[in-house]
Amino acid sequence: MEVFGQLAGGFAVALHPINVAMLFVAVVLGLVIGVLPGLGGTSGVAILLPITVFIAHGSLPGSDATTAIIFLAGIYWGALFGGVITSILFNIPGEPWAVVLLFDGFPLAKRLGKPGLALASSFVSSFLGALVSTILFTFFALPIALKALEFGPAELFAVFVLSFATLIGLGAEAPMKSLAMLALGLLLAAVGFDTITGEQRLNFGQISLLSGISFVPVTIGLFGIGEILASAEEQGIGFVENISAKLGLRDVFEAVRELRKRLRLVLSNAIIGFFFGVLPGHGATAASFLGYGLARQYSKNKENFGKGEISGIMGPQAAADSAGVASLVPMITLGIPGSPTSAVIMAGLFIWGLQPGPVLFIQHPDFVWGLIASIYLGHLLTFILCLLAVPLLAMIMRVPYAIITPFIVVISIIGSYSLNNSMLDVFITVIFGLIGYWLRKMKYPLAPLVVALVLGDSTERELRKALIAGHGSPLYFFNSGLSTVLILLAVVLVAIPLIRTIRARRRGAAPPAAVAHP
Amino acid sequence: MRPYQVATAAAIVMIAAVAMFDSRAAFSPSAGTQVGDVGARWYPFWAAAIMGVASVVVAYRALTTPQGTEGAFEGARSLFAVLKLAVPMLVYALLIAGVGFRTTDFTYSIVPPFGFYLATALYMGLFAWWLGRYKIWWVAAITIAFPIVIFAVFEIGFRVSLPKSFLYTSGLLPF
Repeated sequence: MEVFGQLAGGFAVALHPINVAMLFVAVVLGLVIGVLPGLGGTSGVAILLPITVFIAHGSLPGSDATTAIIFLAGIYWGALFGGVITSILFNIPGEPWAVVLLFDGFPLAKRLGKPGLALASSFVSSFLGALVSTILFTFFALPIALKALEFGPAELFAVFVLSFATLIGLGAEAPMKSLAMLALGLLLAAVGFDTITGEQRLNFGQISLLSGISFVPVTIGLFGIGEILASAEEQGIGFVENISAKLGLRDVFEAVRELRKRLRLVLSNAIIGFFFGVLPGHGATAASFLGYGLARQYSKNKENFGKGEISGIMGPQAAADSAGVASLVPMITLGIPGSPTSAVIMAGLFIWGLQPGPVLFIQHPDFVWGLIASIYLGHLLTFILCLLAVPLLAMIMRVPYAIITPFIVVISIIGSYSLNNSMLDVFITVIFGLIGYWLRKMKYPLAPLVVALVLGDSTERELRKALIAGHGSPLYFFNSGLSTVLILLAVVLVAIPLIRTIRARRRGAAPPAAVAHP
Repeated sequence: MRPYQVATAAAIVMIAAVAMFDSRAAFSPSAGTQVGDVGARWYPFWAAAIMGVASVVVAYRALTTPQGTEGAFEGARSLFAVLKLAVPMLVYALLIAGVGFRTTDFTYSIVPPFGFYLATALYMGLFAWWLGRYKIWWVAAITIAFPIVIFAVFEIGFRVSLPKSFLYTSGLLPF
């Protein structure tokens, strides 16, 4: 019952006026970011990350690191909800996790003429999915963190290896492309001083590279600039379908009635979404496709899918929002990001001077429990704002391309510059924007690159600490039962695509993809 | 798609080769400062090696499996749409910092640093005029309003100091 006391303390922190105010601002920003097709949740969080440095250091009255994480996480919650609005109303996904809503959300709004019901169904299932996930988060986080406190370098390295293996084994893209991106992330993380020996590495004589390549400019480039280049190619926001965006109370009541009919589906998808979201590197997008697949699989009305079936909205939404919340669990408890967005939030923790992982629960309980309490508040706030402000949010789609696109570039450049007051970071952002755009085009997944970049230093440190402890013997990793199991599990995960390919070749068909990737 | 896939994989192999060459000291007997430590170069060497091998496999798969016949871009229009955004963005970044080179004695400036605010005004104005085709007063309003709002929010509100122009250093402009 210790959890309830901690959670009550968390609510006291989260309900501090500055935290509530920043949560509100963040949720509104997140909803706007979610609605804009050229700007995703990950890039939105990355672009606004430098501002949180000022928030964390008390630039606003009463603000601290807890305010900063509540702000960043709030953007994520807003984007999780907001991304679906444009999918349903305009057939344009605002976020990758809202792509799946094109299948049934848009047909329900357009063909069956029920945009209000489609939106309300999405919001109520998102809310319930997130609520289930947050409850599981509340009860699972502390035991995982307490267990993780016992980890030594061998166990920690094994956990990192396992998280990399899930990116390769469970990704939708070619596993070799995932592996190449993962290694590229590890390589980029190694640029600059070696923390153990102090030697310079991979800086090619450039003094400016001695401190390494910062995570934030790379992520803003890969996601922010890369995404708007991709959307420019698709001719950006061209023709926008004109559907009424009004959402009445009647729609909400009808959605709740529909939800009650599908309660089992929504709850089971939320629970599955939670465990899926906890897996490193996947997050909401993959969970949304999984949720849609499950909803269709167990539906009695399979033929209605693709024509505006409400289960095709509620199933993926419950899973996606649940996974979005769950992706913070490994980040907070183990220091391993569950999704690219949580990788950016984790980079924020480093910048504010906090060490993500189990020690956080001991050293900064207010921070952790304040965050957990803010997830409850954030989703409630997002839900209410969505019900009230859909027409306003839909209007954002009408901001002209010639203004919104350069504005996103400008904000991205401010974000990358302001962290270190460095023009080098600006050029890194622009160059990685072009690289990210091209890699996306060539179907290289970006999630392994981002996760490896943020975990690269820790992985190397734990690997070398373990080797030093074992006097150079790799057998040290098998001294502990837990690290042995984790490494074996990682081997099995990496072998999955190989087995899939061999089986497919025997059948004479192309290997099937597992799940979609963010 | 095949040539693009192979060229992309080849570029990654090149990066891997450069990184492996830089980290060749991984095999030096003096690597590492403590008993059991593999040294500073071991980790980047093997990360690069894995990246290189994975990319070789990607290239091999691209050469030996059926690939789509389409190009990387769906026609010139699609390529032009990307260039319309990418080229001004590069010019914008260069304008902020200025273009020049430095010798041991002098710094030669080819384009003086326009700083963040002047470059942003030009960049936003260009898009409004060129892609938006707005009337001239709208272009003027966008050109002036955006940098002022950004100045108020970031420079005054968040106290983020953004790069200033050559006119600031000579005392002619406040940014």
